[in-house]
Amino acid sequence: MSAYPTVKTIEEFRQQPAEYQDAVRKIVRSHALNELYGAQVFDEPAIQLAPTPYAKWLSCRVAMEEYHHHVRFKELADQTGVRPEEMDTKNKRPLNIFELPLESWEQFCVIKMLGDLAEILQVEDLLHCSFVPLRNIARTTMPEEKFHAQFGLDFCVDLVETDAGRDKVQRAVNGFYPEAPKFFGAPGSKNNEIYRKYGIKLRSNEEMRADYMARAKSTVEPLGITLPEVRLAA
Amino acid sequence: MSAALDEAWFSALGEPLGEAEHAEISAYLQGLGLPDLPVRAASSWQEAGALCRQPADAWWQAEEAERVRLQCSARLDPADPAWLQVTERLHGAAAVAAARSGCADAALIRVAAGAATSAAYQQRLAQAAGAPASHPFMRKYALYSGGRWPLGVYGERFAIF
Repeated sequence: MSAYPTVKTIEEFRQQPAEYQDAVRKIVRSHALNELYGAQVFDEPAIQLAPTPYAKWLSCRVAMEEYHHHVRFKELADQTGVRPEEMDTKNKRPLNIFELPLESWEQFCVIKMLGDLAEILQVEDLLHCSFVPLRNIARTTMPEEKFHAQFGLDFCVDLVETDAGRDKVQRAVNGFYPEAPKFFGAPGSKNNEIYRKYGIKLRSNEEMRADYMARAKSTVEPLGITLPEVRLAA
Repeated sequence: MSAALDEAWFSALGEPLGEAEHAEISAYLQGLGLPDLPVRAASSWQEAGALCRQPADAWWQAEEAERVRLQCSARLDPADPAWLQVTERLHGAAAVAAARSGCADAALIRVAAGAATSAAYQQRLAQAAGAPASHPFMRKYALYSGGRWPLGVYGERFAIF
């Protein structure tokens, strides 16, 4: 772990080097936008695709939790000086993972199972962040992120009980998973180096991506689902 | 919106229904253009969970058509912090009610919270669109805010916990 001292308050944050402040703003902005995109393009539309009131209401609650994550990160973005135009979804292209059109309930369950697993890894990396307000949001958010991934897994377990259901889940995995490892950023990232230098994050993009791919594999294999091959940039 | 924080959410689950509640249910169904159906009263969280795991497409679509109609004249921000505070209150109330009944099913508690969230959203939407107090979304909200969990129409019966 980095020896960088903990930064407990917004006032202390403002006394940090500009490079530290910029790094924190980038991470906070990224989480705020990703939570908003996820809620808008996946969670809220999934309510209509869900097959029963049970699944619809559960999806509704999950959507609200994702919006709440967005608000928590956005409040911190405001406090740390992220400019409002940087928080506008019209000005910031979403990650490729959010451009997949949501067309079926099976697809949504796979996105929760594998997409929220990726989010869990990102949040895990902030659990010991040197900037305490960000660390606290990560710790508050984590139990809900874990529930969301489990929600996806539980519904996928039900879906794969039939051959037709397994085929649909496999197709959804084939469509979603190849883009998911890109969620962890480029190898040899300069930004990531700065995050680790200041103890904001712990692991390199490569380490996180490898961990994600291993955990994704161990998640889907018991379901009789395979992960498609992914070509990573050199 | 702050009034929603003080309602009696999930406080009357499993209790016998009163005449006024029966009348509210009838008016709610009539307002949605559904027939006045017999009522099935669920008596436990497990029974409520099992009921709402069944499809209820006709009822859901009737509500959905009305939601879409109202959204032509009013829009709400789902990320409004004051609204999110209400949704947290609903989750808390569902968790407390479940704990009192010995139910520790985290998913089912979220299902109940999501149902109440959906009802509160529909009520806010109806209000924003200038709908009268007799609107079916207002009537459903009255059942929720009085401590019930209306579960929907399954087969030929309206279920409520």
